[in-house]
Amino acid sequence: MKGYKKYYSNKIIWYLLTFVVAVILNFILPRLMPGNPVSAIAIRATKGMTSQTAIQKVYEEYANTFGINQPLYVQFFEFVKNLFKGNLGVSFMYYPRTVSDILAKSVWWTICLQLPAIIVGWFLGNILGAIAAYVRGVWDKGILPSFLFLSNMPAFGMAILLQFFFGVYLKWFPTALGYGYDMNPNLSLKFIGSVIYHYQLPFWSIVLITIGGQAIGMRSMSIYELNEDYVKYSRFLGIKDSKIVKYVFRNSMLPQITGLALSLGTMVGGALVSEIIFSYPGLGTTLLAAISGRDYPLISGCTLIITIMVLIANLAVEILYGFIDPRVKAAQQD
Amino acid sequence: MGKIMLEVNNLNTKYITRSREGIFAVNDVSLKVEEGKSLGIAGESGCGKSTLALSMMGYYLSPLHYISGDIIIDGKNISGMKPEDIRKNILGNEISYIPQAAMNALNPTQKIISLIEDVIHAHNPKAAIKDIHDLARERFELLGLPPEVLKKHAVELSGGMKQRTVIAISTILSPKVLIADEPSSALDVTSQKMVIKMLRSLMEKGLIKSMVFITHELPLLYNVTDDIMVMYAGQIVEKGTAKEMVFDSMHPYSKGLMGSIIVPEAGIRNKKLSVIPGTPPNLKHPPDGCRFAERCKYVKPECTLTNVATKVFGNDRMYRCIYSIEQLKEVYADE
Amino acid sequence: MKNLIKQVFHSPKFVVGFVIFIVIFFMIIFYPLFIKADPLDMVGGLFNKPGTYVAVKDVVQTDEYTLKINTALARLKSISIADKQSMVDWLIKFGNVKKTEVDIDEVATLVDLWQKNYSSKVVQKGLLAAEKMNYVRLNNKINQLINSGDVYIATKDKDGVLSSTKPLDPQAFVNTKDIVNKKTFILGTDNFGRDVLTELVAAMGTSLKIGLVAGTIATLFGLVLGLLAGYVGGTLDDFIMFVTNIFTVIPSFILLVLISFSVGESARGVMLTAAIIGFTSWPWTTRSVRSQVISLRNRNHVNLSKLSGHSLPRIILTDILPYVASYVVMAFILQISSGILAEAQLSMIGLGPATTKVSTLGLMLNWAMAYKAPLTGSWWAFLPVILAITLISFSLNLMNTGLDQVFNPQLRD
Repeated sequence: MKGYKKYYSNKIIWYLLTFVVAVILNFILPRLMPGNPVSAIAIRATKGMTSQTAIQKVYEEYANTFGINQPLYVQFFEFVKNLFKGNLGVSFMYYPRTVSDILAKSVWWTICLQLPAIIVGWFLGNILGAIAAYVRGVWDKGILPSFLFLSNMPAFGMAILLQFFFGVYLKWFPTALGYGYDMNPNLSLKFIGSVIYHYQLPFWSIVLITIGGQAIGMRSMSIYELNEDYVKYSRFLGIKDSKIVKYVFRNSMLPQITGLALSLGTMVGGALVSEIIFSYPGLGTTLLAAISGRDYPLISGCTLIITIMVLIANLAVEILYGFIDPRVKAAQQD
Repeated sequence: MGKIMLEVNNLNTKYITRSREGIFAVNDVSLKVEEGKSLGIAGESGCGKSTLALSMMGYYLSPLHYISGDIIIDGKNISGMKPEDIRKNILGNEISYIPQAAMNALNPTQKIISLIEDVIHAHNPKAAIKDIHDLARERFELLGLPPEVLKKHAVELSGGMKQRTVIAISTILSPKVLIADEPSSALDVTSQKMVIKMLRSLMEKGLIKSMVFITHELPLLYNVTDDIMVMYAGQIVEKGTAKEMVFDSMHPYSKGLMGSIIVPEAGIRNKKLSVIPGTPPNLKHPPDGCRFAERCKYVKPECTLTNVATKVFGNDRMYRCIYSIEQLKEVYADE
Repeated sequence: MKNLIKQVFHSPKFVVGFVIFIVIFFMIIFYPLFIKADPLDMVGGLFNKPGTYVAVKDVVQTDEYTLKINTALARLKSISIADKQSMVDWLIKFGNVKKTEVDIDEVATLVDLWQKNYSSKVVQKGLLAAEKMNYVRLNNKINQLINSGDVYIATKDKDGVLSSTKPLDPQAFVNTKDIVNKKTFILGTDNFGRDVLTELVAAMGTSLKIGLVAGTIATLFGLVLGLLAGYVGGTLDDFIMFVTNIFTVIPSFILLVLISFSVGESARGVMLTAAIIGFTSWPWTTRSVRSQVISLRNRNHVNLSKLSGHSLPRIILTDILPYVASYVVMAFILQISSGILAEAQLSMIGLGPATTKVSTLGLMLNWAMAYKAPLTGSWWAFLPVILAITLISFSLNLMNTGLDQVFNPQLRD
C-alpha cells in the first residue's frame, strides 16, 4: 500500500497545481485585453439600460471586480480570496444575482446529463468495438465504417440531427428545455417524468458521439490484444472463447481508460454545445447567454467551474486506473 | 512395446493465406510415442516443427487447415471430432502444449491461480475452488515451484520462473501427451537445466505419460529424449532412437545436422564440422521429388523426378531417401 | 521516397480519404469560377425550399403549350397520406360508409365519397372541438383542390379598369426554357435569403483556410517544443512536459472561450481566430514528437554526429527531423481537422470570426440554429453544413489512418 500512497499523493499534488494554473489563466486572460477593460465592457453591458442608478451600479461592480485602480497582484489576491469564500462575483445580466447562485443550478443539470451520458457511451462504445474485433465479418465491415464516419461528426451536429429528426419530423421527443415549460421544478412524479422525457435527445446525442469514437479505438486495441500470445495459449489449454474474450476486454480497456482521461476535456466541450442546441438548462446554455450578454463574471465563473469539473473527472479516472492495472502495483514495488 | 499414447498416421495440414493460396505445412507425417517415452523433433527454423505441434493438437485455427490423416491419443481418434468437443475434452487434459517463448504466454493482468482455476473449470465446470487451490499448491510443491507464485501476476515473475510456471499450468490436468515447443530456447543455462529437470520429473512421476520435445538444439535431444525425429520442409526425413540418430544416421540431411553439432560428446568430437549450404524450399510450390534434392551432396537425377516414400528398417527405424541403406553406407564411407 | 509515395497510394484508406478531400477541394476552387454569384448576396426569401423558382409574371406572359395531361388527377394525388387516412377514418365512423366501400389508394373515388358524405353538421361523437375544426379545414383544402372554377388574369388599362380576355386553360403548360427569370436553389436559401449551396462552398473554403492556418501554427509550435523537450531532455524537458500536461488537462475549449472573448469582437477576424485555435492545440503534437525524438536520441547515427562535434541545430535538422517527419505530417492532418471543428464550436457559441464579409461552416450553422431552422423543418440550412464538416473531417482522418498504416506496418489489418 505504501507504493500506492506515493503514486496517489503525487497525482493529487499535480492536479492541485494544475488547478492553480487554471485559476491564474481565468484571471489573467481577460485582463490582457488592450484598452481599459472596464469601460469597454461596461459600455457594452449597459447598452440599452436607461436607469442611471443601474448604470452606475454596473460601473461600480466592474470597478470592484477588476479593481483596476489597484496593482495586478492585489487584484489577484482579491480574486483568490473571493474564490475561497465561494464568491465568484455578481452577474451583470442577472443583477443582483450572484454568479455562484446562477451556476449552482446549471451545474447540476450539466453533471446529471453529461456524466451518465459519457459513461454509458464509453461502455457501449467499448463493448461494440470489442465485439467488432472478435466477431469480425459482417459486423466489422458494416459497423466500422459507419462508426468511423459518425466519430467525425461534431457533437452538436449529432444534437441538431436528433433534434430535427426525432423532435421535429417524427415528433417523438421534445426539442428543447429540460422539462415542460409550463412546470416548476418540484418533486412530483409528473415533473420527474417530464424531466426524463426531455432528457432523452440530449442524452442520446452525447452517447452516440461517444460510442463512435470509443468503438474504433477499442476495436484497434482488441485486434492487437487478440493477436497476443496469451490468447493463443489460453485457447490451447482448452479455455472457452467467451472467457478469453473477457481477458482481452479487460486488457484492452486499460489504455481506453487512459484515453478517456485525455479526451474528457474535448468531450465536455462538445457536450456543452449540444446542451445549447437543446436549450438545456445546463452550463452550456448559461455560458452562451453569458457570452451574448458580455457578462464577464458569469463567463469567468462558468469556465472556472467547467475546468474544475474536468480536473476532478480526470483525477478520478487516474485513481481508478491505479487500482485496476496490476502493472502499476508492480511498478511501485520496484 | 508399451501402450501407445500418441499415434499420428499420414497427417497432412495446410496454411491458407489471405489470397486463398495454400502453403503446405505438414506433409505425410507418421509417428508413434509410447507410454513413458519421449520423442524429440529436430530441424532447421521453418521446417515445420511448430506447425506439426499445432497440427497434432487437433485444434485448427485459421489459417491452419486440416486436410487428411489420423491423430490417435491413447486409442481415441481425434481427427474427426468437432472443435467444441476437442476444446472441452482433449485440449489440456489429454494432450497439452507448452508454447514457444512461454514468457509471453501469460496474461500480464491475471493472477496465476486465476488462470489455473479457468483451465480446470473449462474442463470440469463443477470443480470446487478449494480443491483447485489444493491441487495447484500440491503440484507446485511437487515440481519445486514456490507456492507464493500462485498469488502473483505474470508481470511480477522472472523469465525462468514464468517458463516453469507455464509448464506446471500446461500439465495441471495430467495430460497423456505433452508437446513442448522449444521450452528452453530463450533461457540462460541454469534456467534451461531447471526446465529439463522439471520435464523429466513430470515424466518420472507419471504426471505426464509421454512427451514430444521440439527444438533446434540437437545436443539437448541426445540427453533428454528417447527417440529423435528429423524434419525437413514439412516432412519427416528420418526417425530412430537417440543413440542411433546421433551416431548412425542415414539420411544425408540428418547426417549434415548431426555433423554441425558443436558439442564435446565422445565419439563425435573427432568428426569434422560440416555446414549444409542453401535454404529450405518454398512450400507454396513444393518441388517434385525429394525436397532436399537441391541441397544434397549426393543428389542423383532420379531424386527430383518422383516423390520419395519412406523406408522402414530395423526396429521402427525410418528414413526417406531414394538410396538404399547399403548405397548410403557406401557413399558415406567414401568421405 | 518514391517507394513510400507508392505505398501510400496503395493504402485503401488513404486513397478513399484523399479522393473525398480532392473532390471537396476542387469543388471549392472550381465552383466559384462557374457560378460567379456573391455567396453573401441575399437573393432569395427566408428559408426557401430547394428547387427551381420561376417568375410568375413571365409564366403568364409567355408561350403556352397544351398538353393532354389530367391535371386534376395530379392535384388529387398531392393529398397527403395522413389526410387521406383522416378522410377514411371520418367516413367510416361518421359518414355511414362501410369499410369495404372505401379504398385509400383510389383517390378519385375517395374524394368523391367525401364530397357526397361529409358535412360539418353531422354529429361527430367523441371528437374534440379542435379535431372537428381540423376536418373543416381538410374539407376546405379538398374543395380548393378540385375546384373547377376558372382562374382569370386581368390587365389594367389606362383608366384603371380591369379587364380579362379568357380564363386560364387548365391544360396549358409552359416550357421552363422559355422563361427568362428563373432561379434554381439546389440547397434552398438560408435565414438571410442567401443561396445555401454557393454560401456552403465559400464557407468550406474559409473553414479549410482556418484549419490550415491553425494546423500549421499548432504543428510548428508542437514540433519545436517536442524537439527541444525530447532531444535536450533534463530540466527543459521536465518544464516543457509539465506545461504540456497542464494544457492537456485544462480543456482547450475553455481556453478558446476565454481568449476569444477577451480579444473582443472587433478584432476577431478569420485569421486571428485561426491563430487562437492554433495556439491552444499544440499539446498533443508536442507529446507525439517528443516520444519519437526520445526513442531516436540514442540511435547510432545520432551518437556518431555527436562524436563528430556537429552543432545541436544541425543534429536536430539532419539526423532527427527526417525520422520525425512522418509523425509531423500525420499530426498536421489531424490538426487541420480539429481546427475546423474547433472553429465550428466557437462559432456556435458566438465566439467565432466576427465577420460579415465571409462565411464559415460554423457561422452558417450558428445562423441556422439562431433562426430555428430545425424547428421550421428547413433541413437544407443545416444538414448540408453538418455533412460538409463531417466529410472534411472524415476524409482527413481516413488519410491519416492510411498514412499511419503505411508508416507503422504492424497496424495493418
